[in-house]
Amino acid sequence: MAQHNDHLQPKKVADRYLKRELLGEGTYGVVFKAIDTQTGHVVAIKKIRLGKQKEGVNFTALREIKLLKELKDPNIIELIDAFPHKGDLHLVFEYMESDLEAVIRDRNIVLSPADVKSYIQMTLKGLAICHKKWVLHRDMKPNNLLIGADGQLKLADFGLARIFGSPGRKFTHQVFARWYRAPELLFGTKQYGSGVDVWAAACIFAELLLRRPFLQGSSDIDQLGKIFAAFGTPKSSQWPDMVYLPDYVEYQFVSPPPLRSLFPMASDDALDLLMKMFTYDPKSRISAQQALEHRYFSSVPVPTKPSQLPRPPRKGDPVNFRHPDANLQEGPTVMSPPRKSRRIMVQHDAFEGINLNERQTTGENTGRNEAIPMSIDFSVFAGSRPPPRPTLNSADRSHLKRKLDLEFQHPEQE
Amino acid sequence: MAANFWASTHYKQLQEQEEVDVVHSPDKERGVTLDEFKLIKMHMATYIWKLAQFVKVRQRVIATAVTYMRRVYARKSMTEYDPRLVAPACLYLASKAEESTVQARLLVFYIKKQYTDEKYRFEIKDILEMEMKILEALDYYLVVYHPYRPLSQLLQDAGMTDVTQLSWGLVNDTYKMDLILIYPPYMIALACIYIASVLKDKDTTAWLEELRVDMNVVKNISMEILEFYDNFRPITDDRINAVLNKLALKPQ
Repeated sequence: MAQHNDHLQPKKVADRYLKRELLGEGTYGVVFKAIDTQTGHVVAIKKIRLGKQKEGVNFTALREIKLLKELKDPNIIELIDAFPHKGDLHLVFEYMESDLEAVIRDRNIVLSPADVKSYIQMTLKGLAICHKKWVLHRDMKPNNLLIGADGQLKLADFGLARIFGSPGRKFTHQVFARWYRAPELLFGTKQYGSGVDVWAAACIFAELLLRRPFLQGSSDIDQLGKIFAAFGTPKSSQWPDMVYLPDYVEYQFVSPPPLRSLFPMASDDALDLLMKMFTYDPKSRISAQQALEHRYFSSVPVPTKPSQLPRPPRKGDPVNFRHPDANLQEGPTVMSPPRKSRRIMVQHDAFEGINLNERQTTGENTGRNEAIPMSIDFSVFAGSRPPPRPTLNSADRSHLKRKLDLEFQHPEQE
Repeated sequence: MAANFWASTHYKQLQEQEEVDVVHSPDKERGVTLDEFKLIKMHMATYIWKLAQFVKVRQRVIATAVTYMRRVYARKSMTEYDPRLVAPACLYLASKAEESTVQARLLVFYIKKQYTDEKYRFEIKDILEMEMKILEALDYYLVVYHPYRPLSQLLQDAGMTDVTQLSWGLVNDTYKMDLILIYPPYMIALACIYIASVLKDKDTTAWLEELRVDMNVVKNISMEILEFYDNFRPITDDRINAVLNKLALKPQ
């Protein structure tokens, strides 16, 4: 990062953008922050290297450009501009301050039911637009849902938004994506539709309610086990096409625990919508548009206005400078993901797995937990159980690493 | 996708005939006429089609490539954007955008095979540089709708699948004109079906009425297509080279 001293002599790219610090490095180029001198807005510019490539503009980049030019919506990341400069293609995106993963993980943030409703509504709005234009996102997960300065949540990473991730994200990406994978994908379906995105949105909805990933499978088989442990093994009457899927294997029958026991604090409307989004048969699964018309969104509480949603402190805020230290101290407490306790055949194992980790790490963590205000959802468990998800899983680590990468630049930059 | 044409950037970018039929000033200064401008575009559409036969891409890729080429010349002059390079570069870009990538070196190879004329010779780096310039000229709008899909659906609906081949051929020929820049693709498809039905003596009046489309537009497109066939003369290399040579001249 030391070589990025460009800020010392601000450079104008294409006579319009004032180049600032490096934000990250993606699979096909670097991303840097910049000021759009025409609008005064902060933007993120992705430089796509073409130099060594014999095949011109990167294929994935081109696909993203093609899709994003069609998808203009308040809940989808905006491709503001694109231009060639010194032989490289530059893509200009609106600059996003945070992402939903950071919100969910930040234990200083309390998410009210109205806040959860607002976040999931914006997610579904963005998704509905994609589906209306026949675009499947295929990679829905909290850190692909970016949050702007105005609180608006926007779908990103149509292949490109990985720019906001750290170089070490790749492995996590694999694991993480699995947790949001619909059962038909896990059974190897070759033909799937918008239902896969809705399932993932349901996982995100659940994650907002629980403040931790809902179904954390450690392999594809285990992922299906987690799904069935939560909702019961699907009967062929529920999902007639299931047995014909390429990788279908029979699972031991488990009956589902009462849904209420998994989401004790959720409203009836929230649970009803959640179940419709978690419908096994993709043909009967609710669509993003239908989900938006569900009574959950018209009943009280009214979704929080985006500008009033709780968000993590902005990068560069004084409070944030403490984070690198805090994170470093947490370093030694990093535990492996809850994969050691993954054998799940009975209903609540998934949550016991979390507790196991909690016990292992309570020593290091207690002090911190006490100091932190409980979120609404955590308070449910506070009685008999410790707050869920106190340890760092691989997703946390990647997130922290990214955060560190960013924080460390500030002293150089400002 | 067809149902969402109305929400697409393709729809928003449709132009008027008068806007498309503008010879850009650098070309005009070199004495290029509107007819010659159209002739070169037609020739380049054929060139793209020929190259596509070598590299074996779907009809859709060819149609997209021709559309890109026509969009480029709705904005840029042939003096600045050499048609001999724009044509293969559009095919190259379209193959990527339509998810059936063709390697640039293959294109370079087949260009040499197709034309011995030195002025058609380009290297890989020329194609890649032009790809970038084309992207810019297109303002990065890459999604194109074509009449082929609505054509099949409409023929099915009309119960006229027996004229599929004829009307499909008509649609192919519409890419020798600028219709794709001006009209919604399904209207072009309808015009082709209309012509096919008249040629084959089929009565489509009732079916067309039920569709509730603006029949005036369909008839206008049909007239343009028929006019095109009426005026068509074989494109000779001499005619093409005469125009291309003008482009290389200093402005008059």
